[in-house]
Amino acid sequence: MDIQDYISSGKLELFVLGDLNETEQQEVLAMAKKYPEIEQEITAIEEAMLAIDEVSGISPSSGIKNKIFETLEAENKKHSATNTSAKPLQKEVRLGKEVPLSNPWKTFAVAASVVAIVSVTAAVYYANQYSDAEERLAISFQQNGVLAEEVQANQVKLKSLDTGMEKFITGNFDKIPMKGEGFPMQEDALVDVFWDKESKEVLISVNQLAALDEENDYQLWAIGEDGPIGIGLVNPGKRIDLQTMNIASGAQAFAITIEPKGGSESPTLEKLVVLGEVS
Amino acid sequence: MEEQALVHGLRARDSKVQEYLYEKYSKALFGVISRIIFDRDIAEEVFHDAFIKIVNKIDNYDESKGRIYTWMANICRNSAIDKTRSKEFSKMSKTNTIDAYVYGMENDSGTAASVDGIGVKELMDDLNNEQRFVMECIYFKGYTHTEVAEEYSLPLGTVKSRIRSAIKVLKLKADKI
Repeated sequence: MDIQDYISSGKLELFVLGDLNETEQQEVLAMAKKYPEIEQEITAIEEAMLAIDEVSGISPSSGIKNKIFETLEAENKKHSATNTSAKPLQKEVRLGKEVPLSNPWKTFAVAASVVAIVSVTAAVYYANQYSDAEERLAISFQQNGVLAEEVQANQVKLKSLDTGMEKFITGNFDKIPMKGEGFPMQEDALVDVFWDKESKEVLISVNQLAALDEENDYQLWAIGEDGPIGIGLVNPGKRIDLQTMNIASGAQAFAITIEPKGGSESPTLEKLVVLGEVS
Repeated sequence: MEEQALVHGLRARDSKVQEYLYEKYSKALFGVISRIIFDRDIAEEVFHDAFIKIVNKIDNYDESKGRIYTWMANICRNSAIDKTRSKEFSKMSKTNTIDAYVYGMENDSGTAASVDGIGVKELMDDLNNEQRFVMECIYFKGYTHTEVAEEYSLPLGTVKSRIRSAIKVLKLKADKI
């Protein structure tokens, strides 16, 4: 704190005028004790006030002086009467004791205050630390939950892949590539069908298939002598997944069309996306 | 007499020291009261009670908190202010607002001027209006600086610095006289 700023703030004048609350008074007294410049300034202000009051003052009438000293004389007598009854001795003793006694108490009070301040500071510090730690812990829990979900999802995915792979390996699948080339819907569409003629199982692997809106689905058809038979809906998002389709027998070709959500009984040929013939 | 000896004598209820105190400070202390209470009889009555209080409460005076005059002046000012705020007083005087007071200052200053003092008005001559105003409100009328700041929408810092400059000017003037 700048001492000159403190001095020129006007606070010291208010202190001398008795216009500060208890806390502010204590603050000024503490500052005065610490900085001699402040103490000197306070003395200067007090002297100024006295000088001002002296030049502008008025002597009270002699009547009031007499009255005051009559009152005082009566009170002084009352006092000396009580003072003669051995009480002053007691007072002396108490006064003598009070001086050394007040000092250790002061020290204890100061020590206690310091301990209190340190404790409060520490408490605030650790409370902050604690709430920080708690927050970090909550974030960790959340992240943990997300990770657990991911693990779960991955396990499901892995299981279905496993099933697909197992089928794929144990079966005798023919690969029938279906292409969008030559059809107006999606020239670059590319989907592979794997067909086991003996077990009649069909797997599908999407390499390239555009995403559809909510109202439509890709439907896979096995085209045989009896015409096209819908054998399942294709999820275009599961690109490298092997999707197990319904069983198909006697197919000469496979095709995918876009059908209204849930699929149709018979294919909408205008919306043929890919076609692959069984070689 | 040194202040220490004075305080010591007062604590011992030495009547000679009490008289010395009166001779030395009654003019200044009565000035503090008369500035607030224009009616001389009431002012003297307040002064009587305040002086008795000073003598009786001398054990409450704490040297570490300032000069004895400052303590005494504050007792006198507070007694006077308490009087002006008492019901009995407000019945007699209608000058309750600061505005009315400031006017009162101008008009009644003749009564405050006395044979042995230069008078409040003359003393305040060198102050500018702003300094005079805060001085009147706080030192004479006993408003707190926060009350003055609130009532007149002045920043606290402004009130404080005006008080400070006012006291500086008054001190210079008092030294010259």
